[in-house]
Parts: sequence; structure tokens; C-alpha cells
Amino acid sequence: MAKMKMKSVRIIALKKDRKRLLEHLQDSELVHIRQMDEAEGGFERTDTTAQIRQFEKNKMLTEQALKILDKDFPEKKGLLSSFRGRREIEADDIGKIAASSVKVIGVCTKICDLEKQRADIAAERVRIKTQTAQLEPWKDLDIPMNTADTASTAVLIGSFPRMYDEVSLSEALAKENTEIVFEYEILFSSSNLTCVVLYTPKRQKQQTENALRSLGFTRPLNPTSRTPMEKVRRLKQKDEELIEKTEKIQKSIEKYVKYRNMIRDTQDYFQFRAEKYKVISTLDQTKHIFVLYGYVPEEDSQTLAALCEKTADCIVEFEDADENAPVKLKNNKFTEPAESIVTMYSPPSHEDIDPTPMLAFFFYFFFGMMFSDAGYGLLMIIATTVAIKVFKPDKKMRNNLKLFQYCGIFTVFWGLVFGSIFGDAPAVIYKLVTGNEITMQQLLPWPILDTQKDALTIMIMSIGLGLVHILVGMGCKFYICLKQKEYAKAFFDTGLWMTMLIGFAVLAAGMAAGQILVYIGEGIAIASAVGLLLTQGREKKGIFGKLVGGVASLYDITSYISDLLSYSRLLALGLTTGVMAQVFNMLSTLMGTNVFGIIFMIVIFIIGHAITIGLNALGSYVHTMRLQYVEMFSKFYEGGGKAFEPFALNSKNFKINNKHHE
Amino acid sequence: MNGMLFAILAATIATVFAGIGSAKGVGSAAQTSMGVLSEDSSMFGKMLVLTLLPGTQGLYGFIVGFLIMINCGILGGNAPTLMQGLSYLAASLAIGIGGMISGFAQGKAAVAGISMCAKDEKNFSKAMVSITLVEIYALLAFIVSLLMVISIPGIEM
Repeated sequence: MAKMKMKSVRIIALKKDRKRLLEHLQDSELVHIRQMDEAEGGFERTDTTAQIRQFEKNKMLTEQALKILDKDFPEKKGLLSSFRGRREIEADDIGKIAASSVKVIGVCTKICDLEKQRADIAAERVRIKTQTAQLEPWKDLDIPMNTADTASTAVLIGSFPRMYDEVSLSEALAKENTEIVFEYEILFSSSNLTCVVLYTPKRQKQQTENALRSLGFTRPLNPTSRTPMEKVRRLKQKDEELIEKTEKIQKSIEKYVKYRNMIRDTQDYFQFRAEKYKVISTLDQTKHIFVLYGYVPEEDSQTLAALCEKTADCIVEFEDADENAPVKLKNNKFTEPAESIVTMYSPPSHEDIDPTPMLAFFFYFFFGMMFSDAGYGLLMIIATTVAIKVFKPDKKMRNNLKLFQYCGIFTVFWGLVFGSIFGDAPAVIYKLVTGNEITMQQLLPWPILDTQKDALTIMIMSIGLGLVHILVGMGCKFYICLKQKEYAKAFFDTGLWMTMLIGFAVLAAGMAAGQILVYIGEGIAIASAVGLLLTQGREKKGIFGKLVGGVASLYDITSYISDLLSYSRLLALGLTTGVMAQVFNMLSTLMGTNVFGIIFMIVIFIIGHAITIGLNALGSYVHTMRLQYVEMFSKFYEGGGKAFEPFALNSKNFKINNKHHE
Repeated sequence: MNGMLFAILAATIATVFAGIGSAKGVGSAAQTSMGVLSEDSSMFGKMLVLTLLPGTQGLYGFIVGFLIMINCGILGGNAPTLMQGLSYLAASLAIGIGGMISGFAQGKAAVAGISMCAKDEKNFSKAMVSITLVEIYALLAFIVSLLMVISIPGIEM
């Protein structure tokens, strides 16, 4: 239920055992390797960048290959497949994966090559398409496009960038040069293109060409030695060949689909190796030995020592860890799921205590109060239990599901307190069946707090719970200060505020319960205030400074008040869930009790409650988180620690069935 | 003459103005998050959460509107007197105005939070908490409106 005690460890071993020892360490996932920037005097480092680069390159290759396979032959995945845990394999299987890695990389290379060919073909097809389009206006030309002049006649084939018809072209040419004689045929004419073939006596060729040029006449690019029709036909034929080729490539890629899982495994394998070589590059070495520095939780230290000594001739030394040690949290089954909420904020620093136990309870409790519906809570419990049973998710996902399972339990609890089961569904159904109006209050055998009628009571309760929450946070601060022997901070800065808040609480209770409590509360609050006045300026100089410091500190009361008011969201969100559910229940019964009405009711009921669950679960999650982070953590929690990340086999696709740990 | 017209006006003000705040807030947040998603669609879950955060104001307004309807004879209860009707109108202003303006503000915060989260997913929880800081003001407005609306039928006016 706390941060695990860390030991720093130094392993000295012979270089010949390096590979074996590291492999075992990676398998066991016990050590967090400490990365040192510089080698210690007398030691040197091995440069492994080349190997690492090779592994990463291979990894990238597998990634590309997988991407290609996924694009062409997507795997059928269930909607809920993201819950599913990784495949389990035996430790020996790693050897098999390693053995087949060369072959798999070969396959990946082939897949990537095929993809490249296919891309080339696609580019080629685009080229053909453009060419065909360019030839389109020329399709009426029945001679090759590069037809040469005959003995006496020049043949000019080309186009103008504007529209001409038989008359206007003759006129235009005549305007340029009246001497030339010519004969022509317009093959194609549109608003910005006119294709013509023009014949002229060879002796006038030069003059004609000049006249034409001044009208913007250009010869076609890439003229062919075939007629345009023929060329188009050939292009089409080529295109068909290319399509066929693409299909063939597609088929060849399909042959590799069966390697998909092997490629994934290989990807992980290269990830392991890259990580191993990254560690090797940080080891201090001499000619014959190497030294590895790291951290290990104290309870695992004996296992680690035994493992190392069994594997190789080595010396394993433990020392108490320094401030920079990473943090590993250990909690019981009930609080462990909330660890992710703590780490999402920031892992605890060296001075911090592990806030998970406090956070866990209040997280579930407040979530339940805001979501507050027995029906929804039950759904959450069932859904998460089924998901855990069926999908056997990985630890992280399982903990997330567990988090919502526990939240679900408290949701049921608060749902029963507020008398809300799918809103007022039982009462609505009762009315539908018997025709009599009934409230949930009358229907349920236990006394309930109605979120609408007793809103004020619930609001006071919310703020009361908030006070407890804040006091717990301050209690943690008090404890931390005591542990660090900063008694002034503990008693004056935290303790006095705690008594002050308690004084106010007693005073408030007294207003309802009796005058005597009011006096007691006032007494406590005033005594605390005086205490604060006298102590808060203790670091200032001079009597005046001390007094001002004390008075100024009393101003902090505003921040406590705003913190407390913040808990009114417990009421607001609880009420939101209840009212929304009620609205949908009311809507669902609008169409009466005929067959159509019943169908309408079921549909609206399901859709409506799905919306309510979605919106309010999100709201409850966000707001309970905020209450932990802003209201409670601000009282004592620093964060900024480093999480314990052991040197491990970080695989995406499989997990190794290992006896030492989960 | 009873206060029905004013009660209806009150329900409308609560629902519509708070709704405008949320609609604008969620709208701009959704625009930004779609920009992020066009680059990396795997962030959909996180983006959805951040986008929806300014959506609560509309909900609060709707609840106040609904409670007014329940209390004033539209969906149950008795028709309000003139003074009660006017009181509903006054009560609805808190969530109407508070919800609308806090919706605008929270929308802006959500846009910034989404950009922050897009740069580094680790910022998600910080973004989320920062955006909910705005929420408290909508909540306070809501609670004030709510407490007034549920106590009005009991007051003789």
C-alpha cells in the first residue's frame, strides 16, 4: 500500500557472459537500468549504434509490410478487440521467432518490393492515361503523326490554341501571307484547340510555316510513327497488360498474408534486440568485465541476485537507493486500479507518499455519487466483469476495467440511496401496469434521498464529504511533515487549518443540532485563527512583519471555501443523471400501451439511457478526477517522480508465459 | 391571470441560453479536434472527451427548464401564480446567462486543451483538469437556479 522500497544495484560480470546475462535480465523484468551519461574513469563504452540502426531498420521494414498487408487484406476484427489481451507464448518460442526472423525479413522485403512495383505501374498507368487524352483530338487523322513530306508536297500537322473553322482559318492565313497556296483539313476544333493537317507545295514550306507560326501553330509533342488510332489502341493494350500485372502483384502479396502474425512477432523481436543493444551501449566496460547499474525493488533483490548468480559468474551488490530512484507503487486489489489515475497526474516524487489508497476510495465513492443510478451501476459491473472474463485483457486494460467495476459498485450504492434505478423506471412501469401514480419513495422499502426534493440536504452532504476529502489530504500533508521532522510546518501550517475547518464544521452542525455545538465550534475556530495569526508570520522579520504575515495568511480561508464549494458538483451531476433518466422514461411512455407504443417505448428507453450513460459517465469520470487532482492533491501531493520502467521485453503482440511474475 | 407565460419563458431562457453557450463551446472544440484527428485518428477517444467538456452547460439549462415544466403544470404540478411565474423567470436567468457565458469560455479553454493534447498525449489529464476549472461557474449558476426553482412552488406569492 505504498511506494516500494528501492535498492540500487550494481552487477559486475565477465564480458563473455554479457549477452546471456542481459537476456535473462530482460526476460525477468526486474531491473530498471540507470542510464549514466559518461563512463566512469577507466571504463569505456561500446558503440552499438550500427546494430541498433540495423534492428530499427528491420523493425521499420516489418511495419511497412504490415501496413501494406493491412491495407489490401484488412483483418477482421471485432469492435471490442482492443480489450483483448496479447497472445501468450512460451519462453522457448522466442528462439523460434529469432530463427525465422531472417526469413520473415525476406518476406517483408518482397512485400515492400511488390508494393513498389505496384506504385510504379500505377504511375505508368497515369502516364498512359494522359497520353491517350492528348491523342483524343487527333483520332480522325489517318496518317502517322510524323508523316514526312513527299517529293513535292510538305505535310504540316499541328494545332492552334484557338478556335477556327474552314473559313476563318483560310482568312487568317491569307491575312498573314497572300502568296501561299495550301490545302488543309480540320480534324478537331474546340474553343481553345484546333487540330489541323495542312498541305502546301514544298517550295512554299518556309513561308507557310512562318505564317502558321505567327498564328500560334505548334507541332504535337512526341509525334508517333503510327496513326493516332493505332497508337491509342496500343496504349490501351499496354494499360490492360498493366492491370493484369497489378492483379498478379496483388495475388503475390496475398500469398504472404499468412505471414502476418510472424511479421508481427518479428517486429517485437527486433524491438527487444534494439532495446538490448541500447542497454549495452550504456554499460561501463573494460577489456574483460562490464558493470551494470540499476534499481530494483527491495523485495525482488534476492530473486535478482539468485538469477544473476545462476546465469553467470558475477558480483551483485545492493545499496539503499538515492533520491533519483524510480518509483514503483504497490497496492492491494481494491486500490491498484487507481494507480493509473495517480500516474496520469504524475508518479510520486521522493518526498511524496503514495496517494493511491486515499485517492482510490474517494475516486470510486465520488464517481458513484455523481453517476448515482443502481441500474447503470449494475450495467457497468456486468459489462466490466464480462469483458475481463471473456477477453482476458492485459494488466493495464484489466486495471482500467476494474476501476470502472469498483466505480460501478459505488454507483449502485448511491443509486439505491437516491432511489434511482434507470431513473424512475420502476415507478413508470408500475404506473403503466396498474395505472396508479407512485413515487420511488413509496415503491422502495428503504428511505431514500430524493435528488430534487432534498437537493439542499444533498448539497450540505456533498460539502461535508468534501470537507472530509480535504481533511484527508491535509492529514497526508501533516504526516509527511512529521516524517520529515518539520514540526512547525506540520502543526502550524497544516494542523491549525485542519482544526479551523473542523471548528467551522462543528459550528455548522451546531446550527442544526444545538447551541452548545455552536459555542464549541466557535471556540475551536477562533483558537485556530489566533494560532494562525501568531505563527504564520514566523519567518518574517520584526514584530510588524510577523503580525502582517499572520493576518495575510488568514486570507487563505477564501481558497478553502472555494475548494469546499467545488464539491457541490457532487449534487449537480447526481441530479443531472437522475433527471435525464427521468426525462427519457417520460418520453418513452408518450405513445401509450398499444403494440406500437410498446415498441416505441423500448426503442426510446434504450437510446435514451444509452445517451444518459454516455454523457454522465464521462462527466462523472472527469469531475471525480478533477476533485482528486485539484482539491485533494493540491493539499499535499507534489508528483514529478519517475516511474519504474524495468528493462523488459516490451512486446506489442505477445506476452511470454513466465513463472516469476505476471 | 396566472404566471404560466412567464414560467414557459423561464424554461425557454434556461434551456436556450445555456444551450447556446454549449453549442458554441462544443462547436469550436469539435472543429479543432477534427483538425487534430485528420492528422492522427487514433486520438479519437481523448479528443471526444475534451470536445464534450463544454457540453454540460446545455444539460444544466435543460434540467432547470425541465424542472420548471414539472413544477408549473405543463408536465405536472399546478399552474403558478403571476408572482411565481415571474420568480421562475428570475431564477432561470442564473443558468441562462451563467451557462451561456461559461460555455463560451469553456469552449475556448477546450480548444487550447485540444491543441496541447495534440502536441503530447501525456498532457491529456492536465488539459482535462484545466478545462473543468471553468465548469465550476456553470455549476454554481446551475445550483442557484435549481435551488430556487424547486423551492418556488412552496412559497405563497
